[in-house]
Amino acid sequence: MGEAQIALAINVISILLAVAGTFFFIAGTLGLLRLPDIFTRLHALTKADNLGLGLILLALLPHAPTLLYGAKLLLLWVLVLIGGATGAHLIAKRALRGDGEDML
Amino acid sequence: MNLILLIFDAVLLITLLALAAAAILSSEPRRAVMLFIAFGLWLSLVWARLSAPDVALAEAAIGAGIGGALMLAAARRAARRQATSSEEPS
Amino acid sequence: MTMPAVFLTLALILLITMAAGLARIVIGPTPADRMMAAQLLGTSGIGVLMLLSPALGIPALIDVGLIFALLAAVSVAAFTRRRVGQDQA
Repeated sequence: MGEAQIALAINVISILLAVAGTFFFIAGTLGLLRLPDIFTRLHALTKADNLGLGLILLALLPHAPTLLYGAKLLLLWVLVLIGGATGAHLIAKRALRGDGEDML
Repeated sequence: MNLILLIFDAVLLITLLALAAAAILSSEPRRAVMLFIAFGLWLSLVWARLSAPDVALAEAAIGAGIGGALMLAAARRAARRQATSSEEPS
Repeated sequence: MTMPAVFLTLALILLITMAAGLARIVIGPTPADRMMAAQLLGTSGIGVLMLLSPALGIPALIDVGLIFALLAAVSVAAFTRRRVGQDQA
């Protein structure tokens, strides 16, 4: 297998991963718009956050120009995982306590 | 590639204008603040598209992040004051 | 189609998805719904920025993405914050 085939294989894998990530974002937005109540919407949102962005960043990883850029991509994913999980938990707790409507 | 960029710019600009109008015309403070945060994020994307990553960084940090958090606190305080002064849950 | 063009197309699709998700901010019945929509907006904004970065050839856009990720957490925390003793009513 030569250089060209390896580059082609990397490109194909990268495109597949990016398309899968975009699909997760579309599914998450559809869920946010169509699902009936707040907890199901939160469920759709977290899938799009964690998995969609993760797949897109994974697709961009082979195309990173420098090593630092690749490390920043991974750091970005970790930050979004932590921030998304914490934010979803806070919003769910706020809605569950029933004080979400106090200052509409 | 050029056609895709053109469509990209059109979507970016139309949505930016729609967001700005929605944020200005919204009557309820909390909704206006949420729309302002979304507007800041979107404007930051516009700066990124204009090849100005430094301005995009400042817009995301100041306009959407810090300004949005401060305005959320101000909006909730105003809503609480209104609720306690008129004694009706808003 | 070259790789930057593919990334640009996917960024356009994500941008249209973001614009559709804005409807939830406008109509959202509760403030929590609006906050969730803003969070999804931030995350897909990071996706668009990261796809634009190789398409436009600006590697510095990843720093903007990092700021987006940090400030989404800040605004969610500011949104769910309650002051002890005052928000009980």
